[in-house]
Amino acid sequence: PLSAGWLPALQFVRRGSKAVTRHWKAMHFQRQKLMAVTEYLAPRPAVPPRCLAPRKETLEEDDGYVRLLRRQVEEVFRDNRMIAVCQYNSMPDEDVVLMRHYLRKHNIEVKFVLNEIVRPVLSQSKYKNLLPLFVARNILLVSPETKAKEMLRVLKGVPQINLLGACIDDTILSRQGVEKFAKLPSLEASQGQTAGALALLPSQTSSLLQRGSVHLTALLDQHIRRLQAGETGSPAEPAPAQSLGAP
Amino acid sequence: KKMASKISVVLRPVKSIVVRFCPFESNVESTRKFLRCINHKKIQATNRNCEVTADVRHDGSEPLVDVMFADGERLIMKGANLTTIEMLTALRSRCNAKELQEEQKSKKKSP
Repeated sequence: PLSAGWLPALQFVRRGSKAVTRHWKAMHFQRQKLMAVTEYLAPRPAVPPRCLAPRKETLEEDDGYVRLLRRQVEEVFRDNRMIAVCQYNSMPDEDVVLMRHYLRKHNIEVKFVLNEIVRPVLSQSKYKNLLPLFVARNILLVSPETKAKEMLRVLKGVPQINLLGACIDDTILSRQGVEKFAKLPSLEASQGQTAGALALLPSQTSSLLQRGSVHLTALLDQHIRRLQAGETGSPAEPAPAQSLGAP
Repeated sequence: KKMASKISVVLRPVKSIVVRFCPFESNVESTRKFLRCINHKKIQATNRNCEVTADVRHDGSEPLVDVMFADGERLIMKGANLTTIEMLTALRSRCNAKELQEEQKSKKKSP
């Protein structure tokens, strides 16, 4: 006969730690088994997705922010005469601020650009040859004036920024091109030089043309003086000198 | 897949690094990223004397990384068909090997 009361088959003994502990407590073996059996199994499709026809990717919607940035880039390309593309290797922030300050003194602005925005803008505009430059992190130095010398001087003091190329007055220049451009004299000086060089030839031509008759008149004058000094005084001399001096 | 910026290179045995590329070419991306990773604060902090120069040319030449070590050895990596991670791991393994050599030498000298 069974006794009136019965003791449970499993008795939970409070030895060691309590039920709620601060460390991960090992699960009871039965609980472990339950957890293992009831683990989540991801549903697998009957046909693997690779075998089905590829889904056409939905076109990304044009964000208003992206549009704004693109418009800004277009404005930059329109407004400024000089645009230099440089590679940006990570620089301490104070150096960035200092560099911005020095460039701002020469009216050069520093712009950080994202490639994914600049690339579509460039491919549609006429600056297609600048496309391969925009890989990895870049910055743009833009300015309405073309002060290449000062820009190069500032960039020399900053080793972490490397000038890749520039677009000055719609002409694409490489780094060597920019250095040569910086060595050129200013526009007024070169204009004066050209005008002087052009004016040199006509002045030479006029003097060349006149050389024959000038020489003849000089010779005849000397002859007259010698004759006058010698006191022969023939009246025929002045008449041929006048007719030859005319052309 | 490792991020290129997480690879830490100890530049102590390196004297100078020259990175040459032509930005108007199309195969320079990995070299440019390599240059960017090399200029990171942490890697630069391992050796302040190491000079990293970037040579920007326009003659259609291939991208090149020229590493000059302190014991005179030279490592030239042509980056046209290499990825950034490959170049960084190659440089890192060389640097570690050199470090071990130097440690062994210093241990031998001072027993």
